[in-house]
Amino acid sequence: MTTDQAEVQLQVRFVTKQEQYAVPDSPYAIQSNVQSAELNTLVNAILKETKPLILKAVEFDFLVCGELLCTSIAEHLQEKGISTEDTLEIEYLERFPAPKPQECLMHDDWVSSVHTHGSWILSGCYDNSIHIWTTKGQHKLAIPGHTSPVKGVSWVSNDGEQASFASCSHDQSAMLWVWNVARNSVDCVVTCRGHDKGVECIAVAVDAKHFATGSWDNNICLWSASLTDEDNVPAKKRSKPEQGNSRTPKSTLKGHREAVSAVKWVDFNTLLSSSWDHLLKLWDCELGGIKQEIAGNKAFFDADWSPLNNSIVTASADRHVRIYDPRSTESIVKTTFTSHTGWVQSVRWSTIRDTLFLSAGYDGQVKLWETRSPRTPLYDLTGHEDKVLCCDWSNPALLVSGSCDNTVRIFKAKHATASA
Amino acid sequence: MPPYKTGLLKRKISENTNKTKDNSSNSSSSCDDHNLIRGDLDKEADSSDSDNEDGHAPSDTELDGVVFDSGDSLLSDDAANESLEESSDVSDSEEDEASDGREKESDDDTSDSNTKATTHKYIQSNTNITKSKLKPDNEDSGAESGSGSASRVQHSLPHKNNEKPFKKKEFKQKATKVAAEKKKANSSLDALEQKIKDVQVNIQPVQEKDEYESGDTSDEEGRVNTAGEVPRWWYAEYDHVGYDADGRRIARPPHADRIDDFLRCAPQPQPHTARRSRTPHTARRTAHPRYMLQCFCCRKCEDPDFWRTVRDPSTGQEIILSKKDLELISRIREGRVPNADHDEYQLTIRPEELVPQLPAPRDLQPFPTGEVLQFRGHAGLVRSADFDPAGQYVVSGGDDGTVRIWEASSGRCLRTVELGEPVRLVEWTPVGGLTLVGAAAGRRLLLLNPGGHVGAHRAAQRTDLLLAEPPPAHDVRMDERTAGCVQWEEVDAAQWARGVRVAVAHFKPVQHFSWHARGDYVVATLEEGASRGVVVHQLSRRRSQLPFRRNAGRLQCAAFHPHRPLLFVVTQRAVRVYDLVKQELVRKLLAGAQWLSALALHPAGDNLLLASYDRKCIWFDLELSSRPYQTLRLHAGAVRSVAFHRRYPLFASAGDDTNIVVCHGCVYNDLLQNPLLVPLKQLRAPPPRDQLSVLQVRWHPAQPWLLAACADGTLRLYA
Repeated sequence: MTTDQAEVQLQVRFVTKQEQYAVPDSPYAIQSNVQSAELNTLVNAILKETKPLILKAVEFDFLVCGELLCTSIAEHLQEKGISTEDTLEIEYLERFPAPKPQECLMHDDWVSSVHTHGSWILSGCYDNSIHIWTTKGQHKLAIPGHTSPVKGVSWVSNDGEQASFASCSHDQSAMLWVWNVARNSVDCVVTCRGHDKGVECIAVAVDAKHFATGSWDNNICLWSASLTDEDNVPAKKRSKPEQGNSRTPKSTLKGHREAVSAVKWVDFNTLLSSSWDHLLKLWDCELGGIKQEIAGNKAFFDADWSPLNNSIVTASADRHVRIYDPRSTESIVKTTFTSHTGWVQSVRWSTIRDTLFLSAGYDGQVKLWETRSPRTPLYDLTGHEDKVLCCDWSNPALLVSGSCDNTVRIFKAKHATASA
Repeated sequence: MPPYKTGLLKRKISENTNKTKDNSSNSSSSCDDHNLIRGDLDKEADSSDSDNEDGHAPSDTELDGVVFDSGDSLLSDDAANESLEESSDVSDSEEDEASDGREKESDDDTSDSNTKATTHKYIQSNTNITKSKLKPDNEDSGAESGSGSASRVQHSLPHKNNEKPFKKKEFKQKATKVAAEKKKANSSLDALEQKIKDVQVNIQPVQEKDEYESGDTSDEEGRVNTAGEVPRWWYAEYDHVGYDADGRRIARPPHADRIDDFLRCAPQPQPHTARRSRTPHTARRTAHPRYMLQCFCCRKCEDPDFWRTVRDPSTGQEIILSKKDLELISRIREGRVPNADHDEYQLTIRPEELVPQLPAPRDLQPFPTGEVLQFRGHAGLVRSADFDPAGQYVVSGGDDGTVRIWEASSGRCLRTVELGEPVRLVEWTPVGGLTLVGAAAGRRLLLLNPGGHVGAHRAAQRTDLLLAEPPPAHDVRMDERTAGCVQWEEVDAAQWARGVRVAVAHFKPVQHFSWHARGDYVVATLEEGASRGVVVHQLSRRRSQLPFRRNAGRLQCAAFHPHRPLLFVVTQRAVRVYDLVKQELVRKLLAGAQWLSALALHPAGDNLLLASYDRKCIWFDLELSSRPYQTLRLHAGAVRSVAFHRRYPLFASAGDDTNIVVCHGCVYNDLLQNPLLVPLKQLRAPPPRDQLSVLQVRWHPAQPWLLAACADGTLRLYA
């Protein structure tokens, strides 16, 4: 069989959307059993002839029929059921370089949440504390304040001198903090109380003016993110000598029947939420109503929406990562990505490439996926020794994940910006 | 009685009575009835008629003999010769055909010529009456054996008509004296003449009728198929063929169908050797001229396959049956299954066909399919585990004397409460707004509030507030019997700090306890408690009750009905259901197991599941019967725990073997539809430790996730 395939000659043409690597539009005859490595050398050889400006060899990935080539071309075509007679168009693009492991941030307890912004990493921990780190691995601050495990953290703003961030915890509260970078001191500006049970997730709106929290009491609360609370707290309450200020929710979105596991802002008015009741909901925050509902068949643990491709990637109580299209009225899964061996706990889209996303699961793996390769992830980011609870890709150059082994691991994505 | 019988009877009577008297009675009673006249005729002369028929009375033959004897001498020579000739023919059945052939060699049809000849004779003798009766004799003489005398009588008949007076005279001479006296009274000649006329007049119509009704052919006349003295054709139009001794109709037997005909006609398969032996026979036949003649007409000898040649009625073609066909026919004839390969003793039912048709497990999703999480932390075996009503937390208790609170989705241990004694059972309160965990440790039943640092502050505060309220003093008083076995203890500060809110001490170790759905009552079962083994605690009033006065047996566990005031008490072999309002035993469920271990009530309340140490799970449908609806033997070891899912039609059982069995158990609202139980999945439990594997299974309240408390110190979540 292999010999048969080896004899088959294929007519191929190479195309690319990355113009700096374009090659002449002429067909080439190749053996059908070649893999992407051979194609890579071939394309590089052509590039060398046609574009002498490119000095270094470039690693390419090859897309055949809209799917990433992982096996030999013959097998790939056989899988897709495409004839080897026609001239095949192979699209190539610069391969996303392998992320390089960087620092390992040691915590005292399980890391439940992590968020990066610029060069700062915020992490929430099961020992009720919040930590601030630099991307170089320097521990800036440990912030106690919550009385129960912190479940979500998010930067609100960071202008270099003063930064603010929000956190939520199982102690039924969310807190808004101000960090003075220069003095390295943190103040809890506001404590947000409104949930009846533990707060599971937090999301700050794009304009940083408000944030949303989802809780075990099945509600989503919207809060103002302003650090000064003159505008929304009555004078009477402000006068109360409490430790810090307390804030009540701007509005409460009720509709889920189980715990809300994730909230994400789609635009300044639209909120995406995922819940254990097997539903994804898109909320209109002004009106407080549900815009759209997508039903899955497992409890959702996490969801993320990307403005680049307007798709929702979800993690649910099984081994699969699924992509939903919020524009379609039917709850149809666009693609299912299967490679994890345990529950997937967290998913994040890339902020700069519409085809890449990150997933973290209970099998201790963090995987970098290309949407056009549903069976094989681009890279497995190994290193964690226990369940991975969270991951983050807010900074395009940093792939961050927090785990039950009390660590946050940072992977650096090289050339990530260049390949945009 | 049918008319022919009367006739027969009358004739018989007439044998003993006077002739004239007989005649007069006949003429007077039924001159118009030709049947009677026929009977008359029988009496008069035609005993041959009865002779022809099968059953003829011996008296008739005697009479015939008399007539014959008398008439023989009176016969003319010709007639006598003829009769002799005929009789000789009759007696020699073998040579009949041959002799005829010799007599009329030119004639092809011997029987036809025969008839012609005889007809001539009797036309000459000018008697019509015997014509029809003679012919059959000529023809059938060969066939009818032993009718020689009868034929002779018949031959004598034509002459009898002419010479009636003499015959009658003879008869009269032999008759009784009474007859003779009467004859003398009349003028004998006149009477005789009259008699002859009568007879002749009467005979004529009978003759004609016989001739035409029988179809006027000599062939059929003789072959009349009769039952008794009745020809078959009498019943041609009827469904019955006669009457039995009681006068009931005898139904016509069903006609044989074509297959029967075929099977009858089909040749018997003969062994090969038998067919061989025919060859010398044919050789002999060729030598014999007579055989040659016969074989010429007959295909038997020409065609060696004649014996197995049959005519296909549908096509009209002749078919030579193959050996296979012959075997088939012989098998059918012997009443065996036509297929030779068929083994009557072979089991034709496959085992799979006996298995009931159940839906495929994949159609009954979701159900847990594999282990997802392990909750590690307990030092000893974990005896019990339970989810909180929202499904966010898990509480567990084990032999290490701790109660632990875990986060269900991550397996994170959030809190550990040291109780000092091995914890036998933990159960979260079913009320959503409270955070209260019941724990059975030794003789004490403790109610813990884990909420202090775990999750719901407000609920915890609410719970504490509720419990801090002292109950009205007059309510607390308990009777002496109860007070002797239950003690509501004061909770000291140290214990309070650990989360203990209420402690109830019993006089025996607590074996099992169960919350009421409203959360105010707890029913506890005490080890070896005998008649005081079941205690009901009311939290709001801080008091206890002993509902039973008598010892029902070895108690295992007790539980409240989810929404009706019923209490289920499980003893070693039975479940008793008590109505708490009426305070009476409602029913007793006999499980048919040696030793019951656990009870699970379906959330709808009409079905319950029992586990037993002898490896059974027993499903009861309370609406259906007090007997088990189904007994599931899915385990290889003792079953220690069963659990129903609150939302999904799922239940699980686990025990000492290394499998947790998840089953689909659908209960229908339709009362006519029985629950559907389908085993779905065997989940692998950790290997046994000290012969214990899984001690308790619990379902997540909302998700199809199963939690198992394992003997190896872990809790395992399956999803």
